This record gives sequence, C-alpha cells and structure tokens, in this order.
Amino acid sequence: MLNVENLNKTFKTDGGEVHAVRDVSFHAADGEVVAIIGASGSGKSTLLSLLGLLDAPDEGSIDMNGTQLAHLDAAGRTKYRSRQVGFVFQAFNLIPNLTAKENVKLALEFAEWPKDDRDARAEQMLSMVGLGADKASRRPNKLSGGEQQRVAIARAFSAQPQLILADEPTGSLDRATGQKIVELLRNAANTQKTTVLVVTHDEKIAKQADRRLEIEDGVLTEIA
Amino acid sequence: MRSVGVVVILAVAIALSISMLIARDAVTAKINTVRSSTGNTITVSPAGFFGGQGGGTPLTTAQITGLLSIPNVTAVQAQLSERLTTSQTNLVTPITAGSLGSRFGGFGGRSGASGSTGTFSVPISVIGTNSPGNSLVGGANGGGTEKLTSGTTFSPTSSADVAIVGTDLATKNKLKVGSTFTAWKTTITVVGIYDAGSTFANADALMPLATVQKLAAATNQITGATVVVNNINNVAAASTAITKKLGSAADVTSTQATVQSQLAPLNSVKDISTYTLIGAVIGAAIILLLSMLMIVRERRREIGVLKALGATNRSVVSQFIAESTTFIVGVIISSPITSALVSASGGSSPGGFVRRGTGFGGGGSGFTPPAGAATGGGGFRFGGTRGLGNTLTQLHTSAGWSTLVFALLAAIVIAALGSTVASATITRIRPAEVLRSE
Repeated sequence: MLNVENLNKTFKTDGGEVHAVRDVSFHAADGEVVAIIGASGSGKSTLLSLLGLLDAPDEGSIDMNGTQLAHLDAAGRTKYRSRQVGFVFQAFNLIPNLTAKENVKLALEFAEWPKDDRDARAEQMLSMVGLGADKASRRPNKLSGGEQQRVAIARAFSAQPQLILADEPTGSLDRATGQKIVELLRNAANTQKTTVLVVTHDEKIAKQADRRLEIEDGVLTEIA
Repeated sequence: MRSVGVVVILAVAIALSISMLIARDAVTAKINTVRSSTGNTITVSPAGFFGGQGGGTPLTTAQITGLLSIPNVTAVQAQLSERLTTSQTNLVTPITAGSLGSRFGGFGGRSGASGSTGTFSVPISVIGTNSPGNSLVGGANGGGTEKLTSGTTFSPTSSADVAIVGTDLATKNKLKVGSTFTAWKTTITVVGIYDAGSTFANADALMPLATVQKLAAATNQITGATVVVNNINNVAAASTAITKKLGSAADVTSTQATVQSQLAPLNSVKDISTYTLIGAVIGAAIILLLSMLMIVRERRREIGVLKALGATNRSVVSQFIAESTTFIVGVIISSPITSALVSASGGSSPGGFVRRGTGFGGGGSGFTPPAGAATGGGGFRFGGTRGLGNTLTQLHTSAGWSTLVFALLAAIVIAALGSTVASATITRIRPAEVLRSE
C-alpha cells in the first residue's frame, strides 16, 4: 500500500520559484494500476521522481507498506530504489551494450538478488513478457520498440518491487503495441501484487487503469 | 574515426612513456655500473711522487694499514715500486732507450745508467704488491690488461723470492716458469708470466711486497696504495679522512671527479628521459581524462538510468575506471613498442654520445683493485680511467617483463588520474534531471 501525504516540491529557476508539486496526497493499493494524466509541465514527472526516490520532497510523506521513504538519505534512497521500485520509461532506457537478458540481470544485481538465481529469474521475466531465448541474447538495437519496452518491463518487475513507475510507457509505440504493453503491466501488477503508477497523456490508456488521477500545476485530483 | 584518433594519440603518448622508461632504466643501470666498477677507489702516494718519478719520502706500512680503520674503506692495496739497474740485476730490459729514453733518462732520479758514459738503459721496474691476484685477472696496467699466460701467482702475504714477469721481459731474458734471475744479489724464481698488452707493462716484474721491501732495503716502505671504498658516494668523505690522517706526507687523489665528469652526459640523458617520461605520462593522463569526460557526457543518460535503477556512485565510477583501465592497457599491449619490449631481452648500442674515457697510463703499477674497482694502482693516478672509458663505451638497453609490468602499473595510474574528473562528473549526475530531460 502506497500512501502519499501533502507532498510538496519547489524548484528555484532564473524566473523565480516553481511549485512543481503542491500538497499532493493519494494512496494506491497493492496490485492496483493508477493512471496519472496531465499536460506537459503539469508536474507529473516531478511527482514520479519524488515517488521513485530520485528526488527528495520539500515537505510531505511517502509511506510504502509502513516504511517512511520521503526523508531517507541518498544511500537509503538508492538502496530502496534498487529493491522496491521499478521504472519503465518512454524511451526504454535499456543499456545499449548489454543484451536483453543482461539488462534484466543488471537490475537483479543492483537489488542484490542471489547470484545463482539471476539467470533463471531474468529468463523467467523475459518469458513473462513474451520474449524467448532468441530475443534474450540480443542487444537493444536488434529489438523492435515494442520488444525493448517488454525488456524494460521485465527489468522493472524482475526484483519484485512494491512499486512500478511507468512514465509514458506507450509514448514511443504504435497503438497496438502500446495496448499490449499496458496489458503486460496490468498482468504483472496482478501477478506480483505490485502497485503500478502510469503517467500518460493518452486517455485511452488511462481509462484502462483501475483509477485515474489528474495533475495540473502541481495539484493532483482524482477523476471520478 | 574520433575513437581511432584518440587511440592513436594515446598510443603515441604511451609509446613515448615506455621509450623514456627504457632509456631511463638503461642509463640508470649504466651509471650504477660505472659507479660500482670504477669510481670507488682513492689513490694514495707519497707527496711529490708520481709513477716512479718525482721525489718525496716513502709512506710506511703502518700508515697504509691504518687507512683500513677509516669508515667505508673495504680494502687497501699497497705497493712498493723499485727499479733495478744493470748493477743490481742480470736482467736485460726489452725496452730500447730511444730518443725519449735519452731525453728523460737522467731526469728526476730516473737514473739507469748502464755504466757507459753518455748512454742510457731503461731500468727494470719491479713492483712489490700485496694483491697480485687482482692484477692477473684483468685490470689496467700501463694501458694494458694483464693476463697470466703461464704459471701461477703468489700469495698476497708471501715473502718468498719469486716473481711474475712480463712477456717481453721473459722473452728478452729467455725466462720461463721455473727460471731464475738475480736481483739485489738474490736469486729470484719466476712463478708466472703475464701479458699486459703493453710494451712498457710487459717489461715489468711483479714480486711480493714483503720480498721487495726486504731485498731493496726498504723495510716498511710503501710508494703507493689504492684504497677501495664501499660506495662511490662515500669516496669524498673517505678521501678527506685519508688526507687528514696522512697529512702532508701523501698526495691523495680519487677517480670520483673524473667519473662524475664522465657520467655528466649520462646524467643529463637520465634527467631528460625522466622529465619526458613524466611529461608523457601526464600527457597520456590528460588525453585519457578528456576522452573520459567526452564519454561520460555522451553516456550521461545511461549513467542516470543506472543510478535510477539503484546503482551507487561507487559502482558506476568503478565501471568507468575499469573501462578506462582496460582501454589504456589494451593500447599498451597492442603497442608495437610493447611487442618489441617483450621480445627483446636486451640489446646494445654503442655509446656514441658518451666520450670515451681518457687513457693516461704511463706505466703499470702491477696490480689493480679487487673486483669492483679497476683503476690503476697506487702511483698511477690516471691509469684507472682506461677501464672507465671501456665501461662507458657500451650502453645496453635492457627491457622486458619488469618494464612491461611497470608500464601496466603506470597505465593504471594514468587511468585512475584520467578518470578522476570523469568520476567527479559522474557523481554529480542526478538521475531525476537526466530522466526529466527526455
């Protein structure tokens, strides 16, 4: 269960202060898929950074199954991120000189997954997203966009995190492929009981989530 | 193409570093060799006496033996030079007086009159020595290298009536091992014959020091000594101590100044190679640093992603250092110079840039310092420089696995230095900013 209370984040820019996230509060249950929609510059990426512990909030709390995360130090945030948070990016962000399987194993390595089990776990995750051994041994540039995003999903779920943050996961894909990716995320969330937050500006994608939240000027509201 | 350029420039810098390393090692080895072989002796002779010429009063055995108590003095080789006139021996010198003999024959006490008015016969030099072994295993003696061609040597402490004679003297007098001749009215037995490769030295006779002192009525007299010091760096101090100990009774000279002057070009080469080595290493480090910075900038997103996934700064930095180390080690191993290094166990090149040592040596002292020292004996101040000259004429380059290992270690240092700024850049990369800029 993810509980966010009164989260605030302000940036100082040349043009003055930007209140990117204002008093954001929401919750998400285990296995729930929550869509966050908003226009460009609305604060959704900042919110994702705060939830992914890539940035520290100025105020507020982030509670994940009873653990307070908002004010962990840098080392604590890194450790938590490696084990309890998975990322899926619009641009896939796979490591180019590693194969699909090695990309998945990298996340397992950071999470200090037992060394002997990493191979099997990576194969299992790739299989879960529909990629066989032939694709597993390929580098990202030898995979299609949809396949790369599948690898990214496998990587995100591999260490059994409690939270998946997907930032425009279908943004670089055609509609049919994007739909498959959304289904994959849903299935993985259900199977592993992982909370999935999907940031998107695609209404059709958002409607497939269990709940929808909208962010505008840093303020988050739930869409009925 | 850019990567190829970086590799080529880096390879040139590293090749230069390795070349300078080899040059420096070779020169350092040569300097050490010269220092250990030629520069650690001090010549002591009676004040005013020089190679059988001049005047002065002989030193005493006690004075010379006392030099052993001076710190860092490892050996003292004493000698007594005497000359046999025709009235004192039945030997005939193989050297003809010639015009030089006529000109200098009666000068400076070098009287060797044959008895005939107006004629001059070169006297026969007899050198009493307490270190005959060293004089017969190779050493300078009047510009020649003595080699025992037949017979044996005598004991350093011997007082027997024996001699080792030069080849020319033996031939002229039909002497063989076991033959006898007369000196100071005593029958002397030839126990060995040597060849010094020099007409002057081959006309000499070596005899035990005690024997010459006894027969020449010169008990406890010494006309020269070579003091061996354990290290060239201690020569100056030992020389000062000897001068202080013997006072105005002796002239004390050493080959140190000569050696230092001979080594000056080598020291210059060593300095130049050292500075060039440092410059090349710094250059390589800067090239690597700039390359690493470029790579880090290009892979900023990848670094951000790795950090987002949970990689620590340390692990990312380690990865980049490992990559740069692999890169530079790869460049070194693939370098043609390295290949040459590994295959070469050592080569030699003539030391054309090193001036050959001067080879004064008016006459042989009959013995040379022990192993590790090769100057002429007491009384012949410059004889030793011949050996020095020989040492300096060959400069051997010696490179192999040890140099390669050193080069690899240097590569790791270069990689570490070159990665420093890149590492600092890596730690400053914030994944949130990288991912936000998508």
